[in-house]
Formats: sequence, C-alpha cells, structure tokens
Amino acid sequence: MTKLAQWLWGLALLGSTWAALTMGALGLELPSSFREVLWPLPAYLLVSAGCYALGTVGYRVATFHDCEDAARELQSQIQEARADLTRRGLRF
Amino acid sequence: MATGTDQVVGLGLVALSLIIFTYYTAWVILLPFIDSQHVIHKYFLPRAYAIAIPLAAGLLLLLFVGIFITYVMLKNQKDTKKAQ
Repeated sequence: MTKLAQWLWGLALLGSTWAALTMGALGLELPSSFREVLWPLPAYLLVSAGCYALGTVGYRVATFHDCEDAARELQSQIQEARADLTRRGLRF
Repeated sequence: MATGTDQVVGLGLVALSLIIFTYYTAWVILLPFIDSQHVIHKYFLPRAYAIAIPLAAGLLLLLFVGIFITYVMLKNQKDTKKAQ
C-alpha cells in the first residue's frame, strides 16, 4: 500500500470515528464537557500541526550553520566562471 | 550558528507558534473543564470563533497562494509571447 493510501486510510478512520462520536451514532451518553472538547478536535489538530510546522521552520532558520568563508569562496568562483564563459562567447 | 536577522526571525517564529499553540490549546481543551463563572473565561472569545478564525485564515491563505500562482503563470506567459 502506498504512503498516500495509508494516510488517506488513517484519516478516513479517524474522521469516521470523530463523526460517529459527535453525532451520537454510537448511542453513548458522553458528559457535556467531553463533547465540548470533541467537536472542534479536527480544527485543533490542524492548527497544532500548523504551529508545529511553523515552529520547526523557525528553529531551523535560527540554528542554521552559516559558512561565511565557503560562501565568499563560492561567490568568487561564480564570478570567475562567468568571466571565463563570456570570454568564450556564451551570452548570459 | 545563523547570524543577525536570521536568528531574530527564526526565534520570533518559534515564539509565535508557541503562543498560538498555548492559547488555542487552552481555548479548545482546557476551557470546557473550567467552571463557567471563573474569571479566565473573560480572556477568550465565544467558542464558535475557535473554528471560524482558523477556517477564515485557511481560506485567506489559499486565496493568496492562488493569486501568487496566477501572477507567476501570467508573467511567464507574457515573457514567452515577447520572446516569440
């Protein structure tokens, strides 16, 4: 089974469980505070996933290891290559 | 380690995501279990907004992504026509 199929299967399972519980299709009498937490749950999971993604991106941006010397060396090599290719007739 | 603005932006994003997560978790998960007379309910909007605001934000995001894609596609089309 492909990853997409696995994800869709998992989502369908969780989604149907949530729908069954919210609409009372299973005939369970849940306490009202429990129901209050249950019905926004999909939105909550989406927002949490978004927050996690945002936080991870921010953290990796903040802790990225810059290499100043390598960057400068690369830039000078690019200039060299450009000059060389223009000399040989390649138009940019 | 990343320098200057990179660090500031990165840590700002981390802080923002933590704030949003904490507020939203308190709103959705914790508030139903707190007595409705407690003063903390003053700091949170009515519960319906817990769905409406993320939904509106999501739709806005889709709108911006769509506008951006349209803009890039039109620009490419115009450039190809000019080159012909």
